[in-house]
Amino acid sequence: MTKIADHVEKVLEQLQSPNEEREELREELVSHLEETKQQYIDDGLTEKKAEERALKEFGDFNNIGHEMQEAMYPYQRGLLYGIGLGTILFGVFFYLASAYLLHDRIPGWLAIQLLTGGTVTLAAINISFVGRYFYLVNVMLLINVLWNGINITIMELRPQWQAVFFSIYLLILIGIGLVAVIRNSYYSSGPTETKQQKCGLVLLSHIVNLLFGLVVAGVSLFFLWALLAFSEVKADVILTLVPIIIWLITYKFQMGYISKKPLISIATGLGFSVLSIALPYTILGLL
Amino acid sequence: MSLKMKNFSFITGIVLLFFILRGAGSFAGAPEGFSGFGQSTDISPDDSELVFSYFHGDDAALYTVPVSGGEAELLAKPDEGKSYINPKFSPDGDKIVFVEQWEEGEKEQKRRYSQLRIVDRTDQTVEILMNTRDYITEAAFSPDGELLYFLKAGVYKNYSPITSERPHDFDMFRMDLKTKEIEQLTSKKAYSMSSLELSSDGDRLMYKTYGNRDQLVLRSLKNGKEETIVPAGDFASKEPIISSPTLSPDGEHAVFSDVAATDENGTFVYEGFRMDLDTRQAEQITSFHEHVSSPVFFHKQDKLIVTINKNFAGADPEYSYWQISADGEERNRITIAMPEE
Repeated sequence: MTKIADHVEKVLEQLQSPNEEREELREELVSHLEETKQQYIDDGLTEKKAEERALKEFGDFNNIGHEMQEAMYPYQRGLLYGIGLGTILFGVFFYLASAYLLHDRIPGWLAIQLLTGGTVTLAAINISFVGRYFYLVNVMLLINVLWNGINITIMELRPQWQAVFFSIYLLILIGIGLVAVIRNSYYSSGPTETKQQKCGLVLLSHIVNLLFGLVVAGVSLFFLWALLAFSEVKADVILTLVPIIIWLITYKFQMGYISKKPLISIATGLGFSVLSIALPYTILGLL
Repeated sequence: MSLKMKNFSFITGIVLLFFILRGAGSFAGAPEGFSGFGQSTDISPDDSELVFSYFHGDDAALYTVPVSGGEAELLAKPDEGKSYINPKFSPDGDKIVFVEQWEEGEKEQKRRYSQLRIVDRTDQTVEILMNTRDYITEAAFSPDGELLYFLKAGVYKNYSPITSERPHDFDMFRMDLKTKEIEQLTSKKAYSMSSLELSSDGDRLMYKTYGNRDQLVLRSLKNGKEETIVPAGDFASKEPIISSPTLSPDGEHAVFSDVAATDENGTFVYEGFRMDLDTRQAEQITSFHEHVSSPVFFHKQDKLIVTINKNFAGADPEYSYWQISADGEERNRITIAMPEE
């Protein structure tokens, strides 16, 4: 790989662009740098010197990459860092509060908390990954939102000031998480190519679709809670989460479909959501 | 720093953080256990003394204190890991019957046991009345002091994973204190049975049970006939949720605690209610806006002592005892100084 190609690659590492956009940018940046290099050669510099000069003039790849990412996908990386590090920080505070104030050590919980916070932070560090795997990143974010939602339900058992403080913290984290998912879905459909009016519809459709998802998650978690509360059968616990899993699978299709047919996809989203709840319970009923 | 290096550093950092926190958590030490006043009390027949449990690190010992408050005096202290709870004075005031409670086994296999004990204040002895693998929750003397009625549960379990383990399959028994003979009075295997108490004339006894809803049962000791009472009143819960009912000395009223309101967090606020046993109409008599429980009548005065829990919604209770007039108009906290251990 030439120095220029290497330099451009490092710039692209800081961008969450999907593959097509990435290729276009690569081409554009490489040809711009090659042009500048050629100009310096024409001015009498050696090829090596001309290349060095062109790269120097272009600027530090980290800074350029960050600036381009912020211009094309404002706040997306910051949101991911905020959610990831916020989740980890919650784990640290909550674990220490449990251990020292309530004498209750919960290393298993801490491991899950650090894992979900850590994966979102890793997505922020490897932001180029986000552009290639929008769906996977959304699944990671939704699991983070779901887990923090479950965390709120255990706050009931905490002393009052702790419950209030941690609940507010978690609600903010969940709010930011949902915003990140919606924006991420929206960007996945390449809004730069669509008309202004359609952009609004696409965004609305993503929000409605996510609201359906929250209803599915709410129903699943309600059944999970009811099962834990009123039955001694523990093997069925995983079954109550099946609607969430089905919804997440159909979400992959929805993410693509929304950008093409934003209005119709609201109907398909509703259909998938009803299906993801009805299907497992119908099968269970038949058994 | 290259991207690979960043990823490697971050993952290493998270793994280190986990182990550091886990290590730091182990310095936090085991729970110290609950320290503070217990819930149930009893008043001596001459209305001079109050007997109560006090917990030191999860183990409760029995203490007495003048009913107006003052320096508490140790009455009986259990072995480590055991608790003395639910004390009841004998009619002559010389004896106090109570329950000794403890746990055996580790974590999943943990089981709670309890047995009946009696302390004789004249010679300072603590005797085991009944040793059983079952679970005795409370006892009450007959007015002549010769018989002891008690409640025993067959199982100690939770029927659902989110409820705590509780005794179930209850029945009522009677022990002749001279011969130590035991007679089973009921064969109900009741889901719950509590707050056993005899009327001062010794004709009937009252207890609380559950049958679709909380209810009081008055049982004739002559023919075993039972009368079920569901109080009517202005409760904030759909159905009355009766806690720790007690009979007035004249046998005409029952005082118990029930849901009077719901606070801003959705927690029920329990206040004292007095019910006329004929009309079954209950009226609220306290306004502590805290969790009121365990009312006990004075024998010769128109007063009661109630237990207030200032931390009902919290993990550990914070009990204090209050004297109130029977109509609830007057109230005074009983200030108790605990002796040094």
